[in-house]
Amino acid sequence: MAPTVIDARNLEFLLYEQFGVESLTEHAPFTDHSRETFDLALATAHKLGREVLWPPFREMDQEPPVLIDGRVRVHPSIRALLRECGQGGWINADVPVAHGGLQIPRTVMTAFRAILAAANYSTSVFPALTAGAAHLLASFGAEELGALYLPKMYAGEWQGTMALTEPQAGSSLSDIRTRATPTTEGHYLIHGQKIFISAARHDQAENGVNLLLARIDGAPAGVKGISLFVVPDRRPTDSGLVDNDVTCTSVYHKVGYRGAPITQLSLGDAGDCRGWLVGQPHSGLRYMFQMMNEARIEVGLGATAIASAAYHAALDYARHRPQGRPITSKDPAQAQVPIIEHADVKRMLLFQRAVVEGSLSLVLQCTHYSDLAQTLQGDARERCELLLDLLTPAAKSYPAEQAILAVSQGLQCLGGYGYCADFALEQYYRDVRIHTIHEGTTGIQALDLLGRKVVRDGGKAMFLFLDEVGTSISEARGVAGLGAHAAQLQAALDRLTAVTQHLTGLALEGKIDLFLADATLYLEVFGTVAVAWQWLRQAMTAERGLERDPSEADARFYRSKLSAFRFFFAYELPKVEGPAARLLDSDGLTLKTEEELFA
Amino acid sequence: MKILVALKRVADPANHNKVKIPAAGDKIDTAGLEWQINPFDLYALETALRLTEDGKAPKTRLGEVVAVTLGPAETETNLRSALATGADRAIRVDTTDDALDGRLVAAALQKLVEEEKPDLVLMGKQVVDGENNYVGQALAELLDWPMATFAATIKEEAGGLLVGREVDGGVSTLRVKFPAVVTVDLRIVAPDSVRSSKTAEGFKYPYEEVRFAPLPAIMQAKKKPLAVKKLADLVGGATLSSKYVKFEAPPARKAGVKVKDVQELVQKLATEAKAI
Repeated sequence: MAPTVIDARNLEFLLYEQFGVESLTEHAPFTDHSRETFDLALATAHKLGREVLWPPFREMDQEPPVLIDGRVRVHPSIRALLRECGQGGWINADVPVAHGGLQIPRTVMTAFRAILAAANYSTSVFPALTAGAAHLLASFGAEELGALYLPKMYAGEWQGTMALTEPQAGSSLSDIRTRATPTTEGHYLIHGQKIFISAARHDQAENGVNLLLARIDGAPAGVKGISLFVVPDRRPTDSGLVDNDVTCTSVYHKVGYRGAPITQLSLGDAGDCRGWLVGQPHSGLRYMFQMMNEARIEVGLGATAIASAAYHAALDYARHRPQGRPITSKDPAQAQVPIIEHADVKRMLLFQRAVVEGSLSLVLQCTHYSDLAQTLQGDARERCELLLDLLTPAAKSYPAEQAILAVSQGLQCLGGYGYCADFALEQYYRDVRIHTIHEGTTGIQALDLLGRKVVRDGGKAMFLFLDEVGTSISEARGVAGLGAHAAQLQAALDRLTAVTQHLTGLALEGKIDLFLADATLYLEVFGTVAVAWQWLRQAMTAERGLERDPSEADARFYRSKLSAFRFFFAYELPKVEGPAARLLDSDGLTLKTEEELFA
Repeated sequence: MKILVALKRVADPANHNKVKIPAAGDKIDTAGLEWQINPFDLYALETALRLTEDGKAPKTRLGEVVAVTLGPAETETNLRSALATGADRAIRVDTTDDALDGRLVAAALQKLVEEEKPDLVLMGKQVVDGENNYVGQALAELLDWPMATFAATIKEEAGGLLVGREVDGGVSTLRVKFPAVVTVDLRIVAPDSVRSSKTAEGFKYPYEEVRFAPLPAIMQAKKKPLAVKKLADLVGGATLSSKYVKFEAPPARKAGVKVKDVQELVQKLATEAKAI
């Protein structure tokens, strides 16, 4: 039977008690939904997780995809999930009605995807990739182009992919070389190589639809010359699907996350790979960033989901594994105690919870801004959009970086067994490692946060963030028992403000290299403060819950929430001090370390 | 075809360790239990949906499926979930769990059947909480309708059903005429176990479980009719005819023993465990 991989009560707590997603249904465009719809949607996700995603979880790791006769053989359960998601309306669930969707709030669908990702992250990415590609096509493609592809993608029959990276152009997308040559028939002929393309050319979908970046012949150099194309594996014609000269040349061997293939594609080997332009020429990167920003939040979610599954596995082990005796009573005649009784094991478990539930809250905070923006106009809408934009790199990177540490502590709880394939922890440890890398590495997220989002428009988004956190701090000051924590977060926020002023000062002096040299440390401080803010919000929600005369089970839940909150403020929030001190120093140590000094 | 599906809620069997018995032993403590529909009743719902569709085009409904449950207001969650899965409407008979026994449920269902006049009543072969296996048979008796229990396969024929029943040592095949009561077993949800009059030869469902509720249907579920009736209006002053005397948790598992050789093992199996 499938084990617990995610805490359903915590999802309810965040969705309904903290973010109040029910109140979204009072406003267009969400009025067709209700709490009942959301509950049934989540129940479906739990059932899919238990019955479709979990059973082949280990098997997919042991027998990763292989390239056979040009197709990538993946696990057959992927067809079952794509079919269920297609027929169930889950691929287009949060798409606007105008684009053929059902417009369920993104926050609810994010919880839905968290449940699937916790059950089996590899499988969960297939429908998510199709959803991302379809959303891009629906948002920017011509209506006739969308009509050819979207119904099949929404139905789960055609797999969507994102084809950006090339051997010489990974983080540096401006160096893309794939060519698109115009023809008189409306399509372009595509030539080039793509690498690291997830879920391409696999055998559990009827067709693949690659959303691909390329340069139209004669396009300007750099990012301003990149266009977006639809390049199907097999192109739809009046006489059915015709091979479109998209060749999978290899499947990468990966550390983890092995159920989902990452492939290398060769386009136009026979000179007959056709692509259709999406939107305007040379606007591809701007379009792609809509998808990319959504995908980054999904990555934060994926990291959180794996860490959640690992936490529950470690918790189960810690409760059942007798080992050792209390440090104050070493009588060998006494029975051994379950290891959860040891303070150090409790610390490891609390750390995992602090990361998992703090990260989940931050991710849902982002999607909630995205949903709120849909219901608002003017300045109020812009405020939500700016906050979403600013928080996205943190909602990607904090979970991605911390989940690695959290899963590592989960593995540690199992001692020697954690390092062995007898338990799932070693797989979670390998699976979770991807998230600091894909959809923009942590380094890229840091440059995006500090170099772009913090300084844009005179720091407008940053001031909004300080205001949001400040409002929560003021509220918390009025809640019994939270005053000291409110003060602690205020001090950390002041520290972040001081660091930001110092760094932007360097930028104003024109010392751009110094300004950005330790951007990753800045992201670490920013992310930790953002998650501390989420924990303070959760603590207030839990305190409110306790005041409502809860059932015994609910009271226990709220108390456990508060204990993880106190852990975060005691053990994690103080960690901003180290990087903050370093950032305020700016002696340019790394910049000054010449290549030859790396002995 | 019009089908009435009877659903009972049970404590989530995956969380059986949450079932608590107070010291007095007079009842089950239901506080904090997670409820879901009895799995066998869910199979009955899936069977009803398969019997009222062409598996190749399941969006076109070819009959009516009415889901019924007896219980407090919170059981409407289970009915909404049945509606989202594909039932057309639902009826809740308002009562509490401790005011019911199998005989009362069968009597209430009899009245509902007389009002609704379905061609077929479907339910699970038993419930997984008390392991009771009673209501289907009692209902058929009260209605004086033909009955087939433990159905593993069902094929629709003119005016009735051909039912394959799982029995010790094989399959017993019965032909029942409408209207009838059928209770279903686990294998009824195998890909080719249920054939409606529209099911093409050789068709198999691509799954072997209860179908997932699609989002459009989830959104419609809250608009589908859900009627509430009072138990007393159906069964008058009828009272419980069975009474629970005492509840006891199963004894905790005892520690095992080591045997020194096969001989001792065989001897213990024969004399102590009486397994051979």
